[in-house]
Parts: sequence; structure tokens; C-alpha cells
Amino acid sequence: MKVIILGLLLSAAATAQVTYEDIRQGPGENWLTYGGDYASHRHSRLAQINTSNVRNLVAKWTYHVAGANRLESTPLVYKGVMYVTNANQVDAVDARSGRRIWTYKDDAAQRQSVNRGVALLGNSVFFVTGDCHLVALDRRTGGVLWDRQYASIHDGYYATMAPLALRDRVIVGVGGGDGGMRGFVAAFSASTGEELWRFWTIPAKGEPGSETWGDFQLQYGGGATWMSGSFDPDLNVVYWATGNPWPDLFGKARKGDNLYTCSMLALDAGTGTLKWYFQFTPHDTHDWDAQSIPVLLDLPFEGSMRRLLAHANRNGYFYILDRVTGEFLKGTPFIKQLTWAKGLDAKGRPIELPDTEPTPAGRWVCPSLRGASNWMSPAFNPHTGLLYIPVLEQCDVYTASETVPPPMKDMMGGGGEPLPTQPGKFYLRAIHPQSGETRWEYPMTGPATMWAGAVSTEGGVIFFGDDDGQLVALDARSGRHLWHYSIGQTLTASPMTYSLDGRQYVSIAAGADVFTFGLFEPAAPSPLVPATTLD
Amino acid sequence: MRALRAPEAVERGRKLFNSACSGCHGLHGEGGRGPKLSDGELVRGAKDEKLFSSIKNGVPGAGMPPFPLPDEQIRELLGFIRSLSAPAADVSVPGDPAAGRALFAGQAGCIRCHRIRGEGGFLGPDLTNIGAARTLLQIRNALVKPELRGDGEYRGVRVVLKTGRVIEGVMRNATNYAFEVQDNNGELHPLAAQEIEKIEYRRDPLMPSDYASKLSAAEIDHLIAFLSRQTARPRPNPDQEQTTAQ
Repeated sequence: MKVIILGLLLSAAATAQVTYEDIRQGPGENWLTYGGDYASHRHSRLAQINTSNVRNLVAKWTYHVAGANRLESTPLVYKGVMYVTNANQVDAVDARSGRRIWTYKDDAAQRQSVNRGVALLGNSVFFVTGDCHLVALDRRTGGVLWDRQYASIHDGYYATMAPLALRDRVIVGVGGGDGGMRGFVAAFSASTGEELWRFWTIPAKGEPGSETWGDFQLQYGGGATWMSGSFDPDLNVVYWATGNPWPDLFGKARKGDNLYTCSMLALDAGTGTLKWYFQFTPHDTHDWDAQSIPVLLDLPFEGSMRRLLAHANRNGYFYILDRVTGEFLKGTPFIKQLTWAKGLDAKGRPIELPDTEPTPAGRWVCPSLRGASNWMSPAFNPHTGLLYIPVLEQCDVYTASETVPPPMKDMMGGGGEPLPTQPGKFYLRAIHPQSGETRWEYPMTGPATMWAGAVSTEGGVIFFGDDDGQLVALDARSGRHLWHYSIGQTLTASPMTYSLDGRQYVSIAAGADVFTFGLFEPAAPSPLVPATTLD
Repeated sequence: MRALRAPEAVERGRKLFNSACSGCHGLHGEGGRGPKLSDGELVRGAKDEKLFSSIKNGVPGAGMPPFPLPDEQIRELLGFIRSLSAPAADVSVPGDPAAGRALFAGQAGCIRCHRIRGEGGFLGPDLTNIGAARTLLQIRNALVKPELRGDGEYRGVRVVLKTGRVIEGVMRNATNYAFEVQDNNGELHPLAAQEIEKIEYRRDPLMPSDYASKLSAAEIDHLIAFLSRQTARPRPNPDQEQTTAQ
């Protein structure tokens, strides 16, 4: 075997792997975790594309995912290979040419759910299937290393999030909170798939917090954990947001605050122990999951440097917490119309207005059921000190059922719809985190149906997907429009950026395709490569 | 008139198939004078009742004579025919998976190029899920019928870059403009045409073509038994399945 013998000689160059330190470095050439870095800043140190030359951005390639109709994946890139997910599927793509290298498709999965991306660590690519299998693939071949079922669709669970990989472990959550289940966050060994810990977001009967549920059946309490979390390596704490209590809009059955739903959890990454929690919306009845990814910021706040956590909540308030202690520091509305509370008290608890709970006849409340912001990712630029947040200005008529619906049937106990005369409108808002002030906003046109987030770059450009299927570039300081490109599909994923051979690229997944852009260069002729066949 | 799926029924069906059907359809349903039964729409797309009728009453005008066998035997035949197009993992097999594992990692040398659950080489397809992704016949043919297979995404290659660097491995994807090479250590190399001096393909497939003579029939059965039980997700063991009808 001549080929193999020569191969052994070549192996002197050690095989590179994705290390924990690589992920800590944050995005540059590579983009190694869903939020860009563990703090979920989505800010890349790449600066080749800047405010002066972004107008020269052109399409470089399009990768079509056969059979896809709603890609929600933030692609990750490592050493020139892009990893993008669809339901129960991972594709590895040549990040320079857009050519497929391998596809892993799990045909045995019992549920088709959207998927938001992979995690990378070592030589493994981690992703979740719709039916809650955490799967480790070899990043080079797409071959399965291990496959671990961590929840069952028969108990009301499904999964959509990009896992979070750190040190020696992979952390995941679950969906299903709109049908009734018991949420949890769980950590697994990256090398073997062995479960290391599990934190239940709904306490068991008798445990602290169970007294906030009346006599409701806790196994259907909800508190889904359907988005990826953030991580502070120094504190060794994982920050994970939780979803709504169930039934979403029928609150009479679950008297009390319904811990730990609609909350931010600070969990010890080593043990899964709860360090603190902060509940944004006690006893939620508007489906206001706290699912917007937590953004970890180290900034001066009222005279001293603080370790902060910023969170743009579906309920319309923008929160700043101390992420060491969980202390509430500030909360400010980031939408113009907020009708359900007159403010937050000193502890951050909403001071609710009367007559805002959904009823069978319906009640008009702002923000909408989809929330002031949702899972679309914000981005933070350290030079402007601003957070760029997709914001939906919309009010809904909220209705509630008369009784508790049957569990695990995707029945929310009501719903919310805007009045036909008051359609929603999206904005990209640049929010100054310490003050909560909106420094500028960029209004979008469109049907108010998008789910795209933003990415910030060292070149001073913010890229985001708008509500009309356009990838848009704005000046991070002023919000001035610099460039746009019509993708031609509803955008349901957040863009990212990477570089290869000294060229910076910007990518976004849309309905069925991944689109990638770079600066214009005159085409270089590509002569046919001499290829021979040897005996 | 459903297929009988229990291992003993399928085995009786196999014997009956060998004597009554293999002359036209081939020993493994691969087709001959009669159509292929091992995959494709003809069997997969048809309900048991239709296949039952085709056997019992024949297919007039298509050269398929009637086989007026007892119903029970036809259902056993159907069980065997269904097993031909089922994922290998769902079918009872004669070999010994443990002996197959030893061959895979040892004498047969498969592990040098194929990976299972992160162990093995990179020059051939990963086989962790092969039992769910392929039928028994497809696995058998891949082993013993080199004339039926191409290299596909695993053509042995030596790529010389303009820098003088040489990359050896397999060509996973090639166009006139972009090439993705997986080297012998598994690392992926996305390359542009402009950076390549020349490409040399191996004439012969990397997959050995002499397993049929190098291994005994029993050893091949062992290997197939081992490979057919490789699935990413656990599946019920067909050898322990007690149900007689689906």
C-alpha cells in the first residue's frame, strides 16, 4: 500500500483540532461556536471588509441544501470547512467554493424539526436531532462517533438548538414548552456522550420553587431551554435562558410565579448547580420565553467595572444583570408600545397593569406573542459599545382557552394575532447597554415574518438579515446604510463571517441555501488542472 | 397475505427461493432473466398482497409463471424477498458478528481505510451506520463484486501543489475549479484549481478486489454479519424478533 506508507510520513505535521482555547479566542479566521464566542457577542475581529469597501461586496457562492425549506443554522467554520445544519442533517462544505464535502443525515429520527447549528470541539461536530439525540460526528468524515438519546418525543420533547461545547463537555437543552413537558439543561462528556449533569428548569414536587405552581402537574410545566446558552470561562458559569410556563396563555391552572420559567439561569458548568436565577416574567401568560441569547459584557456600570449580562426579553424590557450575583441592575423598555406593565420595581419585578391577561374574548396587549425580540441573535461591537438587536414593534390580541388543554399536543391554551389594521414592523436598534437608550434605529420593510439576527465586525460594519429577504450592511456607528443584497427568501438565520486565504467572507443561511459574499476581485482564469491516472 | 418475517420463516423462504426463483431472479435477487428484487420500486413500492398475487397467479405477459404453492410458503418467500431490500440491520444473517469484528480489525484489514465509531482509517467510507444505510446484498457486493463498484468519492489521488507540497489521499469532490482532498490522516484540504500543479489518480480502486478469493465463504458471512449490525442508533435485533407478521 504505497499510498498509506507515504501518508504516514506526511503525518509528522500534527493534526489540528478545535481547542477550547480556540473557541475562547472568539471569531476571526474561524467561527467556532453559535454565538461567535462564549460571551455571544457575535463580533468578529476581521476588518478586511470595512465601511469604505463593503459597497464592493459580491456573491461568491451559493450552497443548496436539497430538501430544505427553512434553514435556521448559523454556519460554523473551521480551517476552510463550513458546517451547516438542516433538520436531522449536517453538511460539511468547502468554505471557499461552496462545494459539498460530506453530508450526515439521520433517517431514523422520529421528528423533523428546524435546526440552528452545530458545536465544534476536538475533531467532533455535535448536533441535536429533532427527537433529542445528541450526536457526535467526526468533523473530517461525517461518521458517527457516538449517538446519545437524552429525552423522548413521547414525553413531549424535541430539540432545535446548537449545542454549546466547552472544556470537555457539550451542553444542550430541549424544546416542547408549547405542549407541556418538564424543561432541563444537561451536560454530556464530549468524548463519550456520558451524561455529566442535568438541571431541571421545573422543580419536582417538594423542591424549592415547587410552591410557585399551586397544584399544577409539574411534569407539564414547560420551561423549555430551546436555544444555546453563553458561558463565562473565568466564573465557570453557563447562562441559559428558559421558556414559557405551560399552558402558555392559560394561567389560571398554575397559580404562582411558575419557577424557573421565563428566567435566566446561572449554572455551574462543572456540576450543573444553580448559582442564581432571575425571573423576567413571573407567571407569564403571553408566551414570552426568555429565549434571546444572553450577551455577557464587561463594562463600566455606574462608576465601576462590572461583569454584566444583557438580555433583550420578549416582554419588551431590556435587562442588565450582574452576572456574578444575578442582581438586577437596570431594565428599560426597548419598544415604543409596552402596555402590560407600568415599569419594573427595584428588584426587577414587573409592576403589572390590570386586565392584560388573555381571555376567551381576547385582549389587546403590546408587545406581541412573538415578543419584542425573539431568538434572532443580537451582536455587540466593543468599539461603539452598542448592542444591535432585531426588534419587532407589534401588538397582539391575546386569547385564552376556557380550560387546560391536553398536554403534549402542541396546544398552548390560546394564541395571539395582530389586528389586521396594525401589522408589525421590524427595526434593527443600536442599544447602549448601560443606559438602555436606543442610539439609532434602522426601520425594515416587510411582512413582519423574519427570524434573522446580526453580526458585528472589526471593520465597523453590522450585517443583518432584514424582513424583506435582504442581507444588509450598516455603519456600526451611525446606522447609515452601506450595502444590501436580495437573498429572495424569508430569512430565518443569523449571518456570520470568516476568512480563508486572507479573504473575508460573510455567510447567511436562508430558506434552502447558504449564501456567501466577499469583496469583488476580477476573475482569475482557472486553467484545467493536468490530471493523469497512474498504475 | 402478509410476509412472514421471523428469522426461521425467512430462512425457509430463502431455501425455497433458491430452488424456485433464483434461476430467473438470481441467488440474491440481483436479477437476471427476471427483474431485480433486491432494491428499487418493484418490491419496495408494492404491498405484500400484490407480491403475493404475482407469485401465486403469475404475471401474464411478463414471463412470470404462476407458483401455486401453499399460502404459508408464499408468505415465507415474501419474507425473504422483503429481507433483500430491507436495511441489513433489520435482517437475520447467518454469520457471526464477533468473528466478523475480528476480521474487520485484523486479517481482512478493513480498519486501515474504514472507520467505525471513530476508529480506523480515512480512505474509505465511514461504516458506523452501514447496517441502516445499506441492504445485505449491497454490503455483500461491495465486498466480493469489485466489478459492480466505482470509487465514487474515494478515488486514490496524489495532488502536487504549485508550492511543491504533495497531498496524498482520496478525492472527495472535484470540479474544474475546486477540489476537496482528504489526506491519509483524514485532514480535509479544500483546494482551488489555481494552486494545483498536477493531479495523479490511482488506476486501481483502493478497495481490494480479491476478498472473494482471500476470504472463505464463512469468513465473508462473518464480515457481513458484523457490518450489518453497525448502526448509529440502536435497533431491535432481528435474530431475536418473535413476531411473525408485520
